[in-house]
Amino acid sequence: MIEELRQRLRALQKSTGLAPGAAEAVVPFGIEALDAVLGGGLARGALHEIAAPGEAHLAAATGFALGLAASARNLLWIAEDMALTENGAPYGPGLDLFTLAPERLLTAAVAHKRDLLWAMEEALRCRALGAVIGELRGGALDPVAVRRLSLAAAASGALALLLRAQPADDASTAATRWIVGAAPSTEQTPFGPGAPRFAIELVRNRRGPLGSWILEWRDQDERFILATPAQPVAAPPRHRPHQKVA
Amino acid sequence: MREVTSENPWPLVIYGRRGNADALTAVDEAAERLGLHTGLALAQARAMHPAIEALPEEAEADTALLEGIADWCLRYTPLVACDGANGLLLDIGGGAHLYGGELELVADLGRRMARAGFAYRVAIAGTIGAAHAAARFGEPAAYATGGERDILHPLPLAALRLEPAIVASLARVGLKRVGDMIDLPRSPLTARFGVDLLRQLDRALGQEHEPLNPRLPVAPYVAEQRFHEPIAREEDVLGTVEKLAARLAVALERRGDGARRIELTLFRTDGAVRRIAAGTSRPLRDAQDIRALFTERLAALADALDPGFGFDMARLSVVTAEACPSEQIGIGGEEDAGELVRLVDRLSARLGASRVGRPVSLDSHIPERAAATVPAQTVKADRGWDAFRRHRAEADLAPRPLRLLTRPEPIEALAEVPDGPPLRFRWRRALHDVVAAEGPERIESAWWSEPDAQSADNRARDYFRVEDKSGLRFWLYRSGLYRDLVRGELPNAAPPSWFLHGTFA
Repeated sequence: MIEELRQRLRALQKSTGLAPGAAEAVVPFGIEALDAVLGGGLARGALHEIAAPGEAHLAAATGFALGLAASARNLLWIAEDMALTENGAPYGPGLDLFTLAPERLLTAAVAHKRDLLWAMEEALRCRALGAVIGELRGGALDPVAVRRLSLAAAASGALALLLRAQPADDASTAATRWIVGAAPSTEQTPFGPGAPRFAIELVRNRRGPLGSWILEWRDQDERFILATPAQPVAAPPRHRPHQKVA
Repeated sequence: MREVTSENPWPLVIYGRRGNADALTAVDEAAERLGLHTGLALAQARAMHPAIEALPEEAEADTALLEGIADWCLRYTPLVACDGANGLLLDIGGGAHLYGGELELVADLGRRMARAGFAYRVAIAGTIGAAHAAARFGEPAAYATGGERDILHPLPLAALRLEPAIVASLARVGLKRVGDMIDLPRSPLTARFGVDLLRQLDRALGQEHEPLNPRLPVAPYVAEQRFHEPIAREEDVLGTVEKLAARLAVALERRGDGARRIELTLFRTDGAVRRIAAGTSRPLRDAQDIRALFTERLAALADALDPGFGFDMARLSVVTAEACPSEQIGIGGEEDAGELVRLVDRLSARLGASRVGRPVSLDSHIPERAAATVPAQTVKADRGWDAFRRHRAEADLAPRPLRLLTRPEPIEALAEVPDGPPLRFRWRRALHDVVAAEGPERIESAWWSEPDAQSADNRARDYFRVEDKSGLRFWLYRSGLYRDLVRGELPNAAPPSWFLHGTFA
């Protein structure tokens, strides 16, 4: 009995990234300021919450989650039916911007939040998956369910990401909680949208420090870089030489 | 088959439309004693006996009931077929020994039918035709193979499953019983009454083979278990599944097969039958894996597994089997793949096979048809993405959105120049000011796919990738060209309209 409790305690510590030896099991951003705050990078074997500041920013939050999960060999994306009809399903031809070969993606559509949590837990137990993304449209989460997810992630070492369409203020045992929205990219280039930029805010961190950054995804390097602070947005360019004359 | 309605004070008849009149389709015992019989016109029956209760037939409910009884009969043999609207055929050739013989099997069947409140007639014979005739027109009994001639001899010709018209024309020449024509010269009979008469006779006599078409496909592998004490707990059911699966595994291994689709049939003591099927994404043999599959299936049942007073029999059948080399069973180096497949099976069993998918690339340049999600259990190894990447490199395709809306949503857009990108647009009640745009990428519909090229989703689309002030990126398109409108080439062309089709990170 006591031994069992000890084991659970160890698992809990591991899930929070507090246990010794957890440092190597991280997904580093490769950005000094960010990795320092996180203790080397985003902990694997733990649950992280990524919320969009509003539903319109969900694609940006999705991109951020995919960028983090891109290193996984196999990845499962679970979403409620409503989320898929409202916000669109992951689109194979667009995934490789985040260096995610569509072959590595497995998707599951669920009818209820209950099924979503069940499927996430089940998937986190599977050692063949490097990352599990669960997309939640709204509503609070049962803290017990979240803890179960953390434990399952800790046991398998997979990255568990909870993608939410709105920021939530419910109590959570997640290791980190982020609010990720889109940031203007246009100052990089006068012609059309540039590389995707993200305004990220770390609002909860088991390790302590919080902060906010503007990141840019570099698909050729398959990683995020720190973007220069956003400048006032220039007017839309009138001259677009790359554009075909219709 | 009639339900005994002894508590009913009035003689009961059921009627249905036959030709232009309502005729009796079934009568109960009390009505039979009054001299009413099926086929009698309802008006005539009412005239003879005003004090009868007449109810309209419910053909669908009757069929459903018969099928329910057919399912229940699966406990005796997997070869069960419906015979007309009121009969069942069971091929008990292989399984009667389990009951200690054919007579014991029939006795068991009779006991259970009576307990369920059904009146029934049953006969065992060597051919389908003879059994059909004996059960309906002869003495219900078990007849030995070879005695078909004796069974049929005294029976009316209708017992041979003939068209009523043929029976009537036979009667006109004085042929009423099978015995009347059984030894007549064959060619004049065929010449006058058609080939059907002698074919049915030959089949009933066993001179022509007649296969039984089972209602449900017969599984290549079957294992079953009867219980003296009915089981009710889910755990016991799963334990039984594992035990049966272990038995199936032996048979599967001998033939080098694995299960792709497995069905569990549970027979409740009161006659209800529950069938639960589960699919797998690769040939499966391991009893533990099969049990795990059904654990999820049972958990996912919309209506709980209602055991009533318990199940007294369980059958596990492999409905679809597939060759499965032995070395794949003990997964060595492919441990990951095996784990993944097991996860896919578990998720599919619980959520439904169509809900667990993998994206595949399809050979289409229309964005919504260029990719699809197909059930992960059935997907092929090559999902077409290599071909897609080659094509994209060659054609230098513009970026595609991360999320594609199931259905493009109409937006109000304001464009600066007729065929240019929008300056601002309204989507889901929010106004977006476009600060950067890339495009257009023109996607023409396949001209051969629809003759009506002007139908709304068959017009040429001009796609733009735009970014709004806050950095949100969208994939918009204009359906139709202003050019067509201005030039008047297509006089009926509707003005172009704008849609939002996807979102970028």
